[in-house]
Formats: sequence, structure tokens, C-alpha cells
Amino acid sequence: MNQSYSTADKQDTRQAQRFSSTSIAVLTIYSLVVLMIFGSRLVSPSLGGLSQLMTVLYLSSFLVICAFGQGLVIMVRGLDLSVASMITLGGVLSTTFMQGTNEGLYFIIPGILLISALVGGISGFGITRLSIPPFIMTMAMGLIVYSVCLGFTEGTPRGFPAPILNAFMQSKVFGVALPILLMLILIVIFTTLQSYSAFGRKLNAVGNNPDAANIAGITVKRMTISAYAISAACSALAGVLLAAYANGATLRMGDDYLLPSIAAVVVGGSSILGGRGNFLGTVGGALLLTTLSSMLSALGVGQGWKTVLEGVVILVALLMLREQVFASLQSMFKRSS
Amino acid sequence: MPERINITNLSKRYGATVALSGVDMGILPGEVHAILGENGAGKSTLVKILSGVVSSNAGTISLDEACIRPSSIIEARRCGIATAFQELSLIPNMTVAENILLPRASSGRFWPESKASIFERAREVLIEWEVNDISSQSIVADLTLAQRQRIELVRALSHARCLLILDEPTAALPDTSWLFRQIHHLTSRGVSVLYISHRLNEVREICQRATVLRNGASMGTVDLAGVDDEDIFTMMVGHGSSKKKRVSQESSTNGEVLLETYQLRSKMLKGINLQLHAGEILGVAGLEGQGQQELFRLFGGLHKPTSGEIRVGDKVTSLSSPRKALQVKPGIAFVPEERKTEGIFASLSAAANISIPHFAMTGWAKLVNGRIERHLAAEAADQVGLAPRYLGFEVGHLSGGNQQKVLLARALMTGAKILVLFDPTRGVDVGTKQSIYSMMRHFVDQGGAIIFYSSELSELVQLSSRCLVVYDGLITDDVAANEISEERLLASAHGPGNARKDSLQEAV
Amino acid sequence: MTIKRIADSGLMIMVIYILIFAMYGAVQPSALSAYSIQGLFNNSLPLMLAAAGATFVILQGGFDLSVAGTISLVNAIVAVLQFDGALGAIGMLAIALTVGILVGAINGFVVAYLKVQAIAATLATMIICQGVALLILRAPGGYVSDFMTYELTGSMSGIPVAIIIATLVALLWFVFRRTNAGRNLLAVGQDAKAAELSGINVARTQFFSFIWAGALYALAAYFLAALTSTGSPSAGEPFLLLTFAAVALGGTAFGGGRGSVTASLLGAATLVLMQKLLFSVGVSSFYTGMIQGMIMVLAVLFSGAVQFVVDRRNII
Repeated sequence: MNQSYSTADKQDTRQAQRFSSTSIAVLTIYSLVVLMIFGSRLVSPSLGGLSQLMTVLYLSSFLVICAFGQGLVIMVRGLDLSVASMITLGGVLSTTFMQGTNEGLYFIIPGILLISALVGGISGFGITRLSIPPFIMTMAMGLIVYSVCLGFTEGTPRGFPAPILNAFMQSKVFGVALPILLMLILIVIFTTLQSYSAFGRKLNAVGNNPDAANIAGITVKRMTISAYAISAACSALAGVLLAAYANGATLRMGDDYLLPSIAAVVVGGSSILGGRGNFLGTVGGALLLTTLSSMLSALGVGQGWKTVLEGVVILVALLMLREQVFASLQSMFKRSS
Repeated sequence: MPERINITNLSKRYGATVALSGVDMGILPGEVHAILGENGAGKSTLVKILSGVVSSNAGTISLDEACIRPSSIIEARRCGIATAFQELSLIPNMTVAENILLPRASSGRFWPESKASIFERAREVLIEWEVNDISSQSIVADLTLAQRQRIELVRALSHARCLLILDEPTAALPDTSWLFRQIHHLTSRGVSVLYISHRLNEVREICQRATVLRNGASMGTVDLAGVDDEDIFTMMVGHGSSKKKRVSQESSTNGEVLLETYQLRSKMLKGINLQLHAGEILGVAGLEGQGQQELFRLFGGLHKPTSGEIRVGDKVTSLSSPRKALQVKPGIAFVPEERKTEGIFASLSAAANISIPHFAMTGWAKLVNGRIERHLAAEAADQVGLAPRYLGFEVGHLSGGNQQKVLLARALMTGAKILVLFDPTRGVDVGTKQSIYSMMRHFVDQGGAIIFYSSELSELVQLSSRCLVVYDGLITDDVAANEISEERLLASAHGPGNARKDSLQEAV
Repeated sequence: MTIKRIADSGLMIMVIYILIFAMYGAVQPSALSAYSIQGLFNNSLPLMLAAAGATFVILQGGFDLSVAGTISLVNAIVAVLQFDGALGAIGMLAIALTVGILVGAINGFVVAYLKVQAIAATLATMIICQGVALLILRAPGGYVSDFMTYELTGSMSGIPVAIIIATLVALLWFVFRRTNAGRNLLAVGQDAKAAELSGINVARTQFFSFIWAGALYALAAYFLAALTSTGSPSAGEPFLLLTFAAVALGGTAFGGGRGSVTASLLGAATLVLMQKLLFSVGVSSFYTGMIQGMIMVLAVLFSGAVQFVVDRRNII
């Protein structure tokens, strides 16, 4: 069918944006990370090398994994405050079940992921079916899980991770640590899942406009629940890896990841109000935060200044990522292209 | 006579988008002046600038020969400019009194005023503007849409000392007599009124002159008495509008029944029996709030009936969710009236918006990217006349008309044979309307069936192959194609029996 | 409409509080002594004030994570400065409030005028405040004057100071809610767009909600220092989750527009009381978190159920 388009359309000579605001944000963040790593050589010659890059990648892999889940939850207009407790749960379960042997590893890890996904699913159920605000539901779930871990271990987690996991955390292939490779593989999978799969597209639609998604035939509640389940499983996986890295679990092992997981997502350019998210940006956010923190530690900066600077970086990133800034950047790109 | 308001070369850009590019116009004291133009012509931007919601990039506004540049609603009010907005601006869980008096509900700045005295002050305002059936103490959320619109209007009326701006003021009003009385009351005091409406006959009734906008620029000001509708359309779209011809359509009730209801009851519905045949466009007419909304949402799977049955393609089904409605053969696709809140995914591309049903029904692992989506969406987009280059745009950046095309294309994507459209052309421009009409005709020619509600009678007359009239939760009239006329529909819409004669006289 | 009134006012949470208090009294009769009650209120006051502050922001539809950082910061400042006596306590209060208001102003400016998402912006300011607190006070310790430690946790003519402060905040809210600023705050929370079109200065309303919040957080930190008679650079951390739990328990809607500061005060008091009750019935401290979490969810469900009944009534 051939139709004449209305006059308004003909007059409208706008072009679809070649650089979406998200891709600009992602680019900016990665350039910042690179600048920071190689720029730090100026400050101290021991920094800024490839080895520092490897350390940053290694350390950020835990954050990247839980930030993926957090990103999905934020995408569907939620917030997952149970990240810390789920990391602890993952760590405690893995050391308890493995007891320092490799036996049954093949069902223990999937089992842990399943249990935690179930716990996340319960949060999702409360949020979607009982309309409990996400903030409250995940906070309460975090409290409950933490308190179960505390009661179960009576305060001190025992046991050790499987030796093969310890070995995994320490091995290198062509000079690249295995966890880094694992992270890269996961990044590919997660990016595909979030940006190039029907699942991601549906989740995006739900976050954008739940009512419209419902009318379009998307199972809104099921999608939302799955976001929380995945988030919980991601955190538990990070917990398993952390326990293997530290050769044991502690009850507070997750505490350092809750707020950074949110920060990585928002610094990465996702809207905290949902419906707009990009995992590569989140990865950039996680790298940025980890780089900053490891750089400051290496320079011997005290905890106080370190914290202040971290906060300032988040704030500056937020200020730079506002829509108005994008608009001007976009017009700059347009003029130059 | 010196002009009350003079606007010269007013321009406004949003980023790269030009919303207004050189508007010149003048409004005389005591005049009712209309702004006419297609959607996207810049009417709402002009309203926003005059009422202080956004500020202009260039150009001047002078009020009584003094330059003004209101930067907030309050500042505009201080200049004597007040606006009744199209999207009602009332706070739902507050009383009528508080809403009328906001943002200064209590007279003291730091100290509260007693509730009784606030109610009393608001009551006086209501009485001044002849609103006697709404208590100043009632909660806005409990009012009907028409009542809320009147509160919105009263608030603007009470603040207008120099200029009153009315943006589609009659969208939810059952009749215009009350509003027009108040407008006369105001103009007799020398207050000017800027009147924006899609309804040309209303504009002719109340306005003296009109300024036509096209693509953000003013095309000139005309004396309404001296021009006919054709001239105005020409100014609005830049060429003569295609003569609205009644496309003769046979009542095609001989197609198979795709959708049937029997004694359907719910909160507002009191036993609806209807049949929808393949190949017909079934129109539904009715005044605001007669249950048509509930009926359509029922078909869309958003609402559950209390009793009665729905048969889709011969089988009794319960439409428990929109997903179910889409899945039950031959499929029902519902397009709601609220584009923004229930339709679009603002930050996804138009292509992604259109192709979403394809992914909604598949598993999670199916791969998707921009190119796949554009490919999937292209055909549906073509059927609704959406320019292909828009497919890559974020839908939030498109005009209302194009957003509506996207939604209709999405409905086509579902592959459903039954389209349920609630006021599909509300607030869209003339060009988009024509695209939507031809899409609808094409759809039923291919063996589909459409049931649609419209608030514009002329549209029902033009499109329906049969038209039902709902009144008070019942179908009161079933008009065959050759009998459909605006007068007949209007008469039935005002209720069966004697009411019919009166309104017929009123309508003629 | 009476049910709605009850749901909207703090009556519901008040009943819950009294019930729990009765239970507490039953299992531990010594808790009913004037001294114990005074202690209970002293323990509750910091969380009550923090929850009251957070409510101002939540009511306008915002979110404020900076509560933890602000409390840590002000607490550290109070512990570092050495002012003695009544006058010193007043001076300290002035400094505390100034700092709190300053943090609130930064939050408000970034959120309301620079249009940064509230959760993200206050996350950043929270981290910054925590850092500054560490710079001021490296480790827990510091000095809190005897006047603050004893007088502010004591009683005035038989009434515990904590109760007086809480009552003053409740009174403040009672008046504020009925002023234009208060009405506009609720209007913005219900529908910011409509509020803007009604002539309300939305940005200014949001800005001031953060100022109120900052001031009340500072007050919380000030009384926390008096209660613990020491300072800590991480004093605010436990408050982050508990504050929002208290607000939820008080029935204030996250998303804005519905709720009350008084209810949040009571919600916080209930939360603290619940801890005491659990402890006194001998629940292992390992599991208090579990019970708290469950009660939080139940409270929200209950308040939701009441709202549901109210809505049903409205329709019929």
C-alpha cells in the first residue's frame, strides 16, 4: 500500500540519532577508565601498567556479575537491596556444602544458584503479586537471608571452597587470569541477553511502560519476577567466586557490593527509574569504580579521602550523564559527521 | 483598537527540533480568538510559552503594549494570563477547594487557615462561575471527567484578568453552553480569550477571528465570518483537503461472526449483546461514560465481566488478560485511548515498539536487534502510512500522530483478526486520520473485523458499516449503514424515548 | 470516609505501637517503670527523627539515601567539637543543624535544579558525607559533654526530653501540613506535572523537602551522640535501612503524596520497641533480623490491605 505522508512528516527533517545517548555514555565511561589507568602512571610509576589493568579487571569481576542482576532489576523499575545478603548466602552455602573437597561440585554450584534464584523469585512474587514496594521487599528479604545465614553458621561460617575453585581463581591462560576470562564470557552472554534477545526486549518494554507491555501481551509479572531471580542468582555466583578467592566465607563479605552495584548501574548511564539500560555501560561503571578505588589504595590515600573521591566521581558522572549534556554532545557529533 | 496581546516572531526550539518558527498574531481586548492547526503545528507550544511553562528562544510577547516574558505559571498569572490545560492539571486526592486555590490554598503564608474558611472561599469562586452541582469539599478523584474539566476551567476563569487560554476545553464536556456563557461573561469585562479546539463548528460559534498555524509558523489571521471551512483547511494543511465523502459501504453482516457477547454485565454494563462479523467496521457511539470504555477494555482482556459470556470465533472464552485475548483464535488486539500511559514504550525505537508482539509471544532466547526489528516492522508501518525513516527514532520523540500510527502498526503485527480501537484518532492531525481510515478499510477488506469507538460523530458516520449506540450500559440503538447520520447517532446517544426528540431538535 | 482518615493519619500505627507495648509490658513488667520508659524513648528518638526527615522527601515523591551519610557526618562533628554546658549544647545544636541543612541543600540543588535522579544523587552525597566523616573522626570515640549526655537524655519536669522533642516534631508537621508549603509538598508527591501546571514551584518544593530532611537527620545525629555519649564515623550506617523500614511501617506511600511525618515517628518507635520485645522474649539475636524483615513485609501488606478496603469503599 502506498500512502502519502502528512505535511508535518515532510517538514520534519530530523534524522534518527546516529549516536544514542546510551552509546555516548558508554564511550565516555570507557575513555575515562582508560585515561585513569594510564594517567595514573604520572602519579606513581608503579601504576598504570598492564598488570594494574589486570588487577582492576580481576577485582571488578565480582562487581560486574552482581551489577548485571542489579541492572535488570533497575530496568524493571525496581531496586535490589538484598545483593549483600545474597552474596553472603552464596559464599556460606558454597563453603558449607563443598567442605574443601571437589566432590559434587557439578550439582552444588547449580544448586546454590537455584536456591538463590528461588529466594529472588520470592522477592519478585511479593513485589508483583502483593504489591510490596521493591525497596521494602528486597530489604526485608536481605534481612531475613542474612539472619538465616547468621543463625545457621552461629556467627562464624565454617568450611572451605572446593580446591578446584581456588585453583580456578589463581590460574592464568596466556597471562590472563581465568576469572577475567570468565567475566568476559559472562559479559558477552549478559549483553546478548539484555540487549539482543527477546527476553531483554520484553524486560525493556516492561520497564518502559508496564501497562503498555501488558496490553502488548507480555507477561509483566513473570518478567519482573525473573529479573529478581536472576539478580539473586548473580549475587550468589559472585558470592561463590568471592569465597573461592578469599578461601572462605564471612558474614559481611557482601557488604562492599550493595551500593557499588547500584552505583555501577547508574554511572553506566542506565536510568534509575527503569526502562533504559545498557549492560556495557554498567560494566564500564564497575570498572571505573574499581579502578578508582584500587588506584587510591595504591597511592596510599586514606580511607576518608578515598570515600569522598568515590562519591565525587559518582556525582560528577551523574551530572555529566544528564539529558541536556547528551543533547549538546549529540549535536556536536552531528556537526562533525 | 490597541491590541491586548501582540506576538511577534515567536520561536521555540527543543534541542534540534523546531517547535515554533515565527508566530505573529494579535488579540483584541474582549475578543475570543481561535488558534487552528494540525497536530504538531505548534499550538501546544504556543500555549506553553504564553502560560509560562516553557520560555521562547526568540520573539516578543507584549501585553497591553508592555513586553512580558513569563517564566512560570505564577508569573503569567501575575500578568493576568491564566490557562486551562488540555491534560487536566488537578491533584487527584485533594479537595476541589484546595485545587482551585493552589498554590496558595491558605491565605496566610506560614500559618494554616481553617478548612471551613478555605471551603467558603472556594465556594464563592464556584458560585461566581455558575458551578452549583460540585461541592468545594469533594475530593477531585471522586468527580467525573466532565466535572474535573469544569473545575480546571473555573480555576483558569478565576485567575484570568487579561487573557484566558483554553486548550481543548470541551474535550470532556457534554455540552458547551455553560462554558460559552462563562466566556461571554468574561469577554464582557474586556478579557480576551485564546481558544484552541479541533472542533471547527464550536470555533465558529464562539470565536470572532482565528489564526492558523502550520509547522510552527503563523499562516495568517482570518475573520471567521468571512471564510468557509475549505479555506481554513487549505491554510492548515497547505493544500485543499480531500473532500470528506461518505464512502458507501454495504452492511456486511453476512460475514462469519468473529466476536459475540451475550448478556455481558460488569460495573457499568447492564447486559450487552452484540455481534461482530468478519469484514465489518462496527462503530460505537455514546456520550462520555456510558460504559463503552469498560466494554472495550473487557474485549482487550483488561477487565473482567461479572456475568454473561463472550464468544470469540464460536467458542466461549474468558478474556482474562490481554495476552489471552491476543492468543484466542482469531485473536483480539486492543488499542487503548491513552497513548502515553498505556501505549508507547517511549525510549524504544518505533521499530521495536511495532515488533514487540512478535517477541512477546516467543521464548526468551530468540535473538533480536535493530535490523531484525526494522525488517519485521516495515510492512505494518507501511500499512498505517508511517514513514520508514521514523522506524529508527525513539518513539518518545515522535509526534502524537506518528505515535498513534506506531500503536496501530503494533496491533496489525499481532496478526489478530479483530481490532478493538478506542478513539483511535483522538488528538491526531488530519493527515494521520486519513492514514488510519484507509488502514481500517484495508484491514476489513482482508477479512478482519474492527470495533471502534469514536468521540467524533462524523468519523463514525464516515467509517462504520454499522453503528451501535450505548447509553447507560446498554446498547440502545443499532443503526445500519444506510441510516447512519450524525443526527440519528446524537439523538440515540442522549438516551432512548423522549430525550431523543429534544436533542434531535437541538442538534438540527 | 472514616477508614481513609484512619489509614492516612497515624492512628493505625499508634494502635500497633500500643499493642506491642502491652505485650512488652506483659513479658517484662519492669519495662513499665518511668526509668525504663525514658530509656526506651531515648533509644527510639534518633531513628524517629531520621524517619521523620526521610518522610519529607518521600512525600514529595523523592528518595533520600543520604540519611546514613548525614548522620555519620554530624555525629562525627559533634564528637570532635568540645563545647561544654547548656550554652555549648545549644551552639553544638546550631552547628549540627547548619551542617545538616547544608547537606540537604546540596541534595536538593542537585536533585531539584540539576535534575539528577534522587536515588543516584543521594547515593553519591551519602558516600561523600561518609568520607568526610572519616576525615573528621578517624575511629569511634571523641568527646560528648556531660550536659548533653545527661540532660538531653533526662527529663524536664517529669517528662522525658525525648518525648518532648518527638511531640514538637509531630506538632511541627501538624502545622506544616496545613500551610501552603505543606499542601504543595503533598500535591507534588501526588502528581508533579499537575502540580507544576497548577502554579506550584515544583523545584522549590522538592528543594525544601531535602532541607527539612537534612535538618532532621542532623537532629537525629545530635541526639544519637547524646545517647551514646560518643561519636562514630559510621554511626549512620544502621540507619539507612531502618529509616525506610520505619517510614514503611508508618504507612507512608513510597512514590509520594500519601502519608504523614507523625506516622513515621511512630513507625520508628514501633521498630525499636519490637527489637526490645524480641530480645525480652528470648529470641536468639541471630534471628531478630528475620523477624524484623517479616514484620516489615506484613506491615506494608496490612497497610496495603487497608488502602484496598478504602478504595473499594470509594468505588461503591
